[in-house]
Amino acid sequence: MSHGAEHLSGEGRRLLNRRGFLSQSGTALGSIALADLLAGDGLLGASGKGPIRPVIDPSNPYAPRRPHYPAKAKNVLVIFCAGAVSQLETWDYKPELIKQDGKPLKGGPAVTFQGPAGNLARPQYAFQQRGQTGKWVSDMIPHLAELTDDIAFVHSLTSETNTHGPAENFLSTGFVQDGFPSMGAWLSYALGSENSDLPAFVSILDPRGVPQASVNNWGPGFLPAEFQGTTFSASQPIRHLKRPDAISGPQDRAARSFLQRMNARHLERNPGDGKLAARIASYELAARMQLSVPEIGDLSSEPEHIVKMYGADDTENQTKADYAKNCILARRLIEKGVRFVQLFNGAYASGGKLNWDGHQKLKEQYDVHAEILDQPTAALIRDLKQRGMLEDTLVVFCTEFGRMPMFQKGAQGRDHNPDGFTCWLTGAGVKPGVSHGVTDELGRKAVQDIHPLYDFNATILHLLGLDHERLSYFHNGLERRLTNVEGHVIRELLV
Amino acid sequence: MEHFFKRSICFCALAFAGDAIGEEVDFVRDVRPIFKEHCYDCHGADKQKSGLRLDVKSAALKGGEYHRPNIAPGKAADSNLIRFVRGEVEDMQMPPKGGALSAEEISILSEWIDKGAVWPDGVDAVELDDPRDHWSFKSMKRFDPPDVSASDWARNEIDRFILHRLEDEGLTPSTEASRIDWLRRVYFDLTGLPPSPEKVQEFLTNDSRNAYAEVVDELLASPRYGERWAQHWLDVVRYADTHGFEVNTPRPNAWPYRDYVIEAFNDDLPYDRFIFEQLAGDTVDRDAATGFLVTAAALLPGQIGKDDASKRLARQDELGETVTNVGEAFLGLSVSCAKCHDHKFDPMSAQDYYSLQAFFAGVDYGERLVVDEDAEKEAKVLREQLAPLNAKLIGMVPSVGVEAERPGIRASVNVDRFSPIGTDAVRFTILSTNKLEPCIDELEIFTTDGVNVALHSQGAKTTFSGSKESVNRHQEAFINDGRYGNSRSWMSNETGAGWVEVSFPDKRTIESVIWGRDREGKFRDRLALNYKIEVLDENGDWVLVADESDRAKHDPNDKSTEILTDVENLPEAIRAEARKSLEKKNDLVEQLKSYPDGGRMVFAGKFREPDPTRWLRRGDPEQPQEEVPPAVPAFLEVKDFSLDTGASDRNRRKALAQWLSRPEHPLTARVMVNRIWLWHFGRGLVDTPNDFGNSGVPPTHPALLDWLATEFVRSGWSVKHMHRLIVLSSTYRQSSLVRQDAQEIDADVQLLWRFPSRRIEAEAIRDSMLLVSGRLNLETGGPGFDLFEKRGGLSGFPPIEKFDAKGQRRMIYAHKIRMEREAVFGAFDCPDAGQSAPRRSRSTTPLQALNLFNSQFTLDESVALAKRIESEVGSDVVGQVDLAWRLLFSRKPEAKESAEAVDIVREHGLVTLCRALYNTSEFLYMP
Repeated sequence: MSHGAEHLSGEGRRLLNRRGFLSQSGTALGSIALADLLAGDGLLGASGKGPIRPVIDPSNPYAPRRPHYPAKAKNVLVIFCAGAVSQLETWDYKPELIKQDGKPLKGGPAVTFQGPAGNLARPQYAFQQRGQTGKWVSDMIPHLAELTDDIAFVHSLTSETNTHGPAENFLSTGFVQDGFPSMGAWLSYALGSENSDLPAFVSILDPRGVPQASVNNWGPGFLPAEFQGTTFSASQPIRHLKRPDAISGPQDRAARSFLQRMNARHLERNPGDGKLAARIASYELAARMQLSVPEIGDLSSEPEHIVKMYGADDTENQTKADYAKNCILARRLIEKGVRFVQLFNGAYASGGKLNWDGHQKLKEQYDVHAEILDQPTAALIRDLKQRGMLEDTLVVFCTEFGRMPMFQKGAQGRDHNPDGFTCWLTGAGVKPGVSHGVTDELGRKAVQDIHPLYDFNATILHLLGLDHERLSYFHNGLERRLTNVEGHVIRELLV
Repeated sequence: MEHFFKRSICFCALAFAGDAIGEEVDFVRDVRPIFKEHCYDCHGADKQKSGLRLDVKSAALKGGEYHRPNIAPGKAADSNLIRFVRGEVEDMQMPPKGGALSAEEISILSEWIDKGAVWPDGVDAVELDDPRDHWSFKSMKRFDPPDVSASDWARNEIDRFILHRLEDEGLTPSTEASRIDWLRRVYFDLTGLPPSPEKVQEFLTNDSRNAYAEVVDELLASPRYGERWAQHWLDVVRYADTHGFEVNTPRPNAWPYRDYVIEAFNDDLPYDRFIFEQLAGDTVDRDAATGFLVTAAALLPGQIGKDDASKRLARQDELGETVTNVGEAFLGLSVSCAKCHDHKFDPMSAQDYYSLQAFFAGVDYGERLVVDEDAEKEAKVLREQLAPLNAKLIGMVPSVGVEAERPGIRASVNVDRFSPIGTDAVRFTILSTNKLEPCIDELEIFTTDGVNVALHSQGAKTTFSGSKESVNRHQEAFINDGRYGNSRSWMSNETGAGWVEVSFPDKRTIESVIWGRDREGKFRDRLALNYKIEVLDENGDWVLVADESDRAKHDPNDKSTEILTDVENLPEAIRAEARKSLEKKNDLVEQLKSYPDGGRMVFAGKFREPDPTRWLRRGDPEQPQEEVPPAVPAFLEVKDFSLDTGASDRNRRKALAQWLSRPEHPLTARVMVNRIWLWHFGRGLVDTPNDFGNSGVPPTHPALLDWLATEFVRSGWSVKHMHRLIVLSSTYRQSSLVRQDAQEIDADVQLLWRFPSRRIEAEAIRDSMLLVSGRLNLETGGPGFDLFEKRGGLSGFPPIEKFDAKGQRRMIYAHKIRMEREAVFGAFDCPDAGQSAPRRSRSTTPLQALNLFNSQFTLDESVALAKRIESEVGSDVVGQVDLAWRLLFSRKPEAKESAEAVDIVREHGLVTLCRALYNTSEFLYMP
């Protein structure tokens, strides 16, 4: 009956038949009763080690579900910088690199992703110490730099690939291949939604376009399609949300009510078929979304000082204004209980013009990108904080890999570097003012507390009350997880 | 993967005091305590670092993944266990923490090993299951169908197996479905389309005892059947028409494999042949079939890092995907775990994995030329469409004397158009170049009716001022041979100067000359910057018709290779037309690339001599170990199978195919009949269709599975035979109504006490909407139609909203963009061709509702359906409603329904009704 059930092992099915019995016996035993039943059988609960596959009620797949243990965070905002932001121009201060500017990297690779390596190149922006912690952050991002006291940095992340598409897949799905469920899909599968009028998982695309791995970043993979991210942004509404122009309001209402009567009669003729009830419910939710989504996307109710704080009123820089509006939209979605909001900054491969892939003219392009990113993103985090929303919202700032300390031969930019790069967390459950992990003195490789991205993702799940080793979906004979067979929670980042 | 239902069996510790003599080392008394104290934390029941466990005899003697033998009986010095505890190997001191073993302990261990490492049976606390001892690795057994009490219910053997199990559980089967329900069910099931009202009528009035069988025969003979069932197979092998990953460029010649699969199902190609051809079709003139080997996503050369490690990783990933296809599709095994470590559940070692990979060490992802008779015909059709388009485009290029300024000279191609003039000869004179001696790859002279009369094949003769020749690159004959590019060009022998004269057999009326340095756009030197074109008049004088004087300044950076550039500056009247023609021309040129000399390009793998295959530690191409031969997994039937490392690519693939299609193979037939069953009933007898191994789910009806598998082989591997057995069975003919009593015992309908009804898939919904609106285009085969405004590449894919006839073909003929879900129907759990989808999930989401209710597609089909209905029954609203019901639901409306619907049509129009009907559960569910 349920998707969970379709993929159960023999043992799981035996239990599920008992569930079927319970749910058919007309009592109010819902998924909570089932959870208790499963727990009683030793499949759930802190003591167990086995996989936990949430049981999805087909007529209400987005019902809120309990985490594995009390969660620090209820919602997640992922700020996803597509194209690989250079750690050396932002968060990972390398004074030695300034000294060695223009010298060859001893023992360094002759050839990197795009071709021959050039000489070491100093960070392209000046660094200053910030806040109470005295964290060195570059002048490229002055607004974000002010937030460092609240942030937990990981400077020693590694990726399994140095190619953008597979690396974005790896960051978002835990696998370099196409076709695995994205983190947002995992979370809506695990936890459902707190808002019955909105999708559980929204991906807000950058005004410049889609990121490189595109739908892989918000796709359901082999999870049921209901857990995929819904894409929209302040400037681009959900596709098919509105009735077609050729249909009038009365026609639309007549068609809808007639359809619901037809479907109700069909259900009467096929009593007890949960999938048919689910279809009726899905049209009702769709109708509610037709009201709630335009409302949430209507930023005209935002006071002027908020619009200004985000930079959404910037008339000089349209891209920045559009991104800023996306940031406001992100806040509004989280306010309404959307479980997972993925906010993209940067688009597809474009020689670094539309994203952070600064191979040739890094400084020139980063000047442009930083202006778009900095003020709106910083305002978003401040706004969440001032509204008390960071109490239960986890904010993730991530990128698919880092960049080399050398410039590419004959160029003014840096090549891909999956061996040591920086992402960070702030908000619910995150220890403020932490810098964890170290790259070597030139920022070429992680050398201390090295963490594959699996660990970063495991930590995010942990903050949401989910055990990354247990949250699973049975597919093609394997218990699939976001972290494959890897991953350790990075305890140093936690309160 | 977590192994969470432990299968370990506890034994009573049968410790025999025995006759151990003092000085003899005894495992239980002397050795095991040392292991327990120092080793079990990492190599015991809870953890097995590096795959080594020392608390179980069989595992300990087998050793860990990387340092076998850990224990070499009789040879302590060669045993890694001893070397590690002695600290003889750098970084491998064991135990790594908590202090080394004492000298006495080490000497006990050494002595024990030297004396043969005697480890008595039955002393371990745990006995491991032998993973080879697994039902699906053992031979199939054909049991007679069991006796059942309700024997008159059973129509065939399937029913007796199913009924037997139901009776065991105290269940009874459901009543028979109505004829209409069965008919709709079998139509959706076998063809993915609903029956027409005529077919419904025909069936309802057919009193013959064979009425059901006749329907099945008709459906299986219909080409619609293959189009439906091929999709199931394409789901498993994740077929797509793009390469995947971020660049996701088109794979324009993948479709022959898709067509091959459709044809294979339609022809009822025996499954053993189907396997053989997909692995080695190139050896039997079934080239497109090997598309199977390369269906997965692959990084293209430009996307792979320039460093060698990236290249090795990309190659390894490609091969890994091919092995995944073979493992999942044919063997039903999730072999890919063994890429990094010995399989946790199945008896497949990393070496076994790489031996399987070695079968494909000569396979590259790419296109190869396949000669077939249709190719030349298809290419000719395309060329015939191209010629008038080219002429049209040439006709739009600004003409001499008409425009104030003509486009600047380009290295690729230049058009000089002038007032039509009759002549016997044309002279092209170069007066200066940007560099060195001038070079022209092709000189074309077009008549007013669009014929290139400069061609040697048209009888034109050439004379030159002088030539610098180099064989197969620059030759005089190349200037008018109809072929482009630097390697088919003429070069003058004089720096910055030269001329060529072309004379015709008789007088021609010409109006344009087209010339270039390199139409392929690679070379930009040796370009004529000052030139003149003259024609010979009746008096024998050369008359100037064109030169560069009215052209814009030459832009050395202009890399365009189009005949017609600067479309924006054309007169507004022809701008739109020009854009359209250019697009169409480029589309044709692109399509023609698939037809090189006398054949077609097919994305079906490129074959070469195999590279040596080494097994890789941790799956890491940077840690290659010993070479492995191509070999099938040792735990399966391997009788009479041997290949050495020197076997050729073809022989490798043939040998694998022959082994897989052995009639007695324990997995091949079982895996496929389970798929067939799943595609009929929505779930398999084995619920993990791609994993029949130890971590898969055991069959609900093992005897039935084996009966079906042996029947499949006995029938000559006929898939259609299996369909007939299934869809004509009483099991399949049951009603789908939920019964409370049975639901309580078997909520998931695993035991098939009713037919499990379900929503039809994305493709079936789209196809069915088009069918009932009367617009389904039944054209078969060939390159896919577009669902998006582009066929591949970076950035987003804007969906096409309105479709012409080409876009109203069945959805299996769509150009499938990997990972990009179709904008309306993708939300209906359409697989994305990333990972294998052996069964479709069937979710219900508000996005589905929005898409199906509000999309342009639904609106367009609603309008079309309304038109069709009106044209068939006129303006009688009751008749309109009646026909709508018969088209969509295969029945007449009930009185109440009809009354409501008539009201809607009268008040809001027939389109409004049609839009609602397309969204009904009744239309979208297989009853």
